[in-house]
Amino acid sequence: MLPAACDGPGMNCVEVFSTDFWQAFAPEAILIIGLLLLFIIPNLGNSKFRIPLTKTHVPWFFGGKRVKATGSPALPGMLATATLFTALGMMVIESIDGKMDTTTVVSGGIIIIKMDNFSRFFEILFLAAVLLASMASLDRIPAHTFHGKKSLEEMYDNRRQADFYILMLTTAIGMCIVALAQDLFVLFVGLELASLATYVLVGFHKETKSGAESGVKYFIVGSVASGVGLYGLSLLYLEFGTLQLTEIAANWVDSSILGTIALGLVLVGFGFKVSAAPFHFAAPDAYAGANSPVAGVLATASKAMGMIGLIRVLLIIALPESGAQESAIWLYALGTLSVITMTWGNVAALGSTNPKRMLAYSSVAHAGYMLAALTAVGAWKWGEVEAPSDYAEAIVAAVLFHLFVLVAFKLGAFLVLGLLEMEGGASRLSALSGLARRDPLIGTAMFIFMLALAGVPPLAGFVSKFLVVAGIVSNSVGELWVTTESVSFSDIHWVWWLALAMFINSAISVFYYLRIGVVMFLDVPEEGRRKPLPYGASIRMAIWICLVATVLLGLSGDTLIRMCYRAAESLNLA
Amino acid sequence: MLVGGLLIIVAGLMAFFPSLSDSNDSVDWISLPLVGFPILVSCILLAFASQETRARKQVIAGPIRLFTLCASLIPLGISTALFFDWLILVNWENLSYNQYELEKEYVWIETIGVSWHVGMDGLSFPMVWLTTFLVPITIITTWNEKDGATYHPLLLMMGGALIGVFVALDLFLFYVFWELTLIPMFFLILKWGGKDRRYAAQKFFIYTFCASVIMLLGLITLYFLQPEGSGPGYGTVTNRTFDMKELFANAAFYNEGDKVFLGKDMQNILFAMLMIGFLVKLPAVPFHTWLPDAHVQAPTGGSMLLAGVMLKMGAYGMLRIPIAIFPDAVIYYQDVIMAIGLISLVWGAIVCLGQTNLKKMVAYSSVSHMGVILLGIASMQPIGYAAALFMMFAHGIISPMLFAVCGAFKHHYHSMEIGAMRGMAKWSPYLAVYMMFAWMASLGLPLLAGFVAELMVMIAFWPEYGWWILLPGAVLAITAAYYLWSMQRTIFEGGDEGQPPESLHGETPPDITLSENIGMIILAIFTVIFGILPFIALGMMDDWTVAFFEGVFKAGGI
Repeated sequence: MLPAACDGPGMNCVEVFSTDFWQAFAPEAILIIGLLLLFIIPNLGNSKFRIPLTKTHVPWFFGGKRVKATGSPALPGMLATATLFTALGMMVIESIDGKMDTTTVVSGGIIIIKMDNFSRFFEILFLAAVLLASMASLDRIPAHTFHGKKSLEEMYDNRRQADFYILMLTTAIGMCIVALAQDLFVLFVGLELASLATYVLVGFHKETKSGAESGVKYFIVGSVASGVGLYGLSLLYLEFGTLQLTEIAANWVDSSILGTIALGLVLVGFGFKVSAAPFHFAAPDAYAGANSPVAGVLATASKAMGMIGLIRVLLIIALPESGAQESAIWLYALGTLSVITMTWGNVAALGSTNPKRMLAYSSVAHAGYMLAALTAVGAWKWGEVEAPSDYAEAIVAAVLFHLFVLVAFKLGAFLVLGLLEMEGGASRLSALSGLARRDPLIGTAMFIFMLALAGVPPLAGFVSKFLVVAGIVSNSVGELWVTTESVSFSDIHWVWWLALAMFINSAISVFYYLRIGVVMFLDVPEEGRRKPLPYGASIRMAIWICLVATVLLGLSGDTLIRMCYRAAESLNLA
Repeated sequence: MLVGGLLIIVAGLMAFFPSLSDSNDSVDWISLPLVGFPILVSCILLAFASQETRARKQVIAGPIRLFTLCASLIPLGISTALFFDWLILVNWENLSYNQYELEKEYVWIETIGVSWHVGMDGLSFPMVWLTTFLVPITIITTWNEKDGATYHPLLLMMGGALIGVFVALDLFLFYVFWELTLIPMFFLILKWGGKDRRYAAQKFFIYTFCASVIMLLGLITLYFLQPEGSGPGYGTVTNRTFDMKELFANAAFYNEGDKVFLGKDMQNILFAMLMIGFLVKLPAVPFHTWLPDAHVQAPTGGSMLLAGVMLKMGAYGMLRIPIAIFPDAVIYYQDVIMAIGLISLVWGAIVCLGQTNLKKMVAYSSVSHMGVILLGIASMQPIGYAAALFMMFAHGIISPMLFAVCGAFKHHYHSMEIGAMRGMAKWSPYLAVYMMFAWMASLGLPLLAGFVAELMVMIAFWPEYGWWILLPGAVLAITAAYYLWSMQRTIFEGGDEGQPPESLHGETPPDITLSENIGMIILAIFTVIFGILPFIALGMMDDWTVAFFEGVFKAGGI
């Protein structure tokens, strides 16, 4: 018995674990196979299994003295990177031309996951971020084969290579599930899978004080947020008897106050993930304690994951009834929250001298920009603005574009900090001093990342900010010129002011982004940092990929913009 | 790795540039030769030089400097040839409004209607020529600047970005170049500036960036308020365009006509938002505080380009975008613009009187002169607009000379104080002569370029504002006062032997170097040429102004 969603033309419904299923989800399957291999291969050894009550020893190959070739501490990193690369490549090839089939997976009449342009877009984003991070970690957490001298740190690093990359892959898989989920329960499972893995990744350097502290902080705050979200889900189930997105959306029209409260609680869970104020307090500590590539994943992929939740809940399941008086309150709340988030993030970033905390606060500010965009879509969705649905799609596409290019320059900035961490900490601004003199290319790359974050043309950050503001403005203006004789300023919807707030904020943000540039180009390197930077081929390669993407997506982002539009279209907002 | 990265970027550029959208096969004289070439060459040189060690940089500075100079002469040659019609048939003098020569359009971001659309008319061509002219002059004048391996390429990049601003016929492209000019200037101030360069560079960047984002919001709002359309240049998704030519053609819709799209208040607000970006860049008085800081800290070459061309971006932008699209709002704000112009003029001049720092005085005199441009715009007379254009041009030649003199002063006397050097005429006769010449040109001596513009503004001012003309008239007297006074103190005072500055510790004050001499004499010659024969440039500007009034104000029913 197939649900109604399968009836439409072009819909491709498959059962779980059928042949069609594996064909459609081959990249995800590769991720899982890679994860299993990561469990198995490093543990291959010469152990034997004695059959009970006999003296026969059967070779068991699992444990014991490890085989030298497969037991190399460098192997898990390579394996994880190769897995991610293969999966990512398959996804990109499949979806770049936009002729991808929509596949819906059903089981027992319930839509579990759906693969369309939207979810594929986010999967590509997640895998790209995790791939870059794991590539960078090959040097950042180096694996050595021992030649005589053993340092404690090296031993720690070697022992935990497999753990680290297993967690990385788990994060990737969890995020992919979030992107695919069509049922709030499945979405939550994916969210928790990814979250639990990131909690451990944040506290990965448990020997250092800040590592343990940040891990625990992030875990406690995160699990409280998840708990609240889960409570919201149970209330939703109480109200509707289902957690299917489509069914909740259909039944929402006559929802009671309970449903509204429930959805508010669910939003708390996602608000933590995108680090929107007032749920952002754990983010700076977590980023500062985690090693830089992981912090980069948190700031890009994890934020995008929360954003999926917000989009699904706010835009698919619309909050207020359209045209009702109460809707305005929700809109005002969301708008205010976005302004508070972006202002708080930027003002706090002004005062922080730790570059990682600064980037964390800037990530809070970016969350505010995206919330502002969602407010504008909300204004359309909830009937305050008269416009066809492509106006809303334009904003969603802009948000997607912004999330995607963040991977290029925000992760890139974290990777540069990661390179600095290889020769000591990167938790003070002075660690960056003289970087442009020590290594002009890396210094220039960092400066370009900063300019992109600030939104200076012609970099990708400018285009993304431009698109978001253009989306908000287009929505506030709507189709006034058709309906009104002459447009006066009071005809424009108030979300226009959010665009102004966003631009004023990005002007504030220039101050602290520029400070990094000044420190890098003007100051003298601090004591102990006079030598050239550590080499690290793969982390440098990752930085270069980010740099080229930042420049190229700014100069010719048309392909990506089209991809974003297709993704936004497949949400079927109207 | 470096080469690989460059190759990838170049390949990316190639991937979208050949998407030619017009059938016109004529040679593209703007995109690559005038804009792309300087920027690409300087990027390559910078990437190359940054890889070298400090000692090697000293060695390669000479060749790079020479190479940069040669590279900067190519755009100069092309723009000069374009002026004289040597290469191709361009007709600067009979263009009607919203017609451009050497126009080229390539699709850039198709989805939202952005194209690489470039072209020149009587408004932009003089500024383009001025930029191509000033870059080699600046390189020659500051030939001996330290770290030449990166300094001179940055000047070249600055030139390319500035030309980009003037030739852009697409709002998005315009904004991209508008912001791009900040980056080389930021580095020029940061790495070669004076003692407070950290503060000055950041203030410069943040101040102008803040204003620009407000302007950008205005542009975006304007973009979405235009009627939807389709065709080349229109976004495939948004159905609107950033193409200026298209916007200007539709601009009549915004005014009284068959259908009024924008209410008067909306027009006024958008006009004000756009003007904020341009007024800060100009700079007009309440927004001028970044300029003295930036100028005092900037190296000589940076100051020359900053005062010579970058300030004109503000005036150019005003004439190009807000005034052309919202003529009604110009009428509405006419008195405000006049007031801002007068205040800039008066305030700048009075502050100059109190300055002891030579470069700061010159910087404030720039503020004062930019006020004259606003007066020309506020006069709403064709002659006032032509005067504003000529003021931009004349000030673009005179002010680099002022800053070259200041730079030489600083370079040779290690001090910027007016009182530090007395009796310069004895010790440094060349510098004394150039200083006198530049000061005279700036205070508006007849037969020099500045005079023509000031006279024309006065003529335009009279019919509109009557006896208020006494105020700018008096300011011109103040201008003469501060210039003559500072000249008297530095050049002539101090008896027979003069008073060499203390910062030299008893050494003989040197005269200027050969390269400074060459740079300044060329500027002096052109100041005289455009003072005696202003019609060389003024003819084109006049025609543009007439066409502009025809196309904007008459068509708008004003």
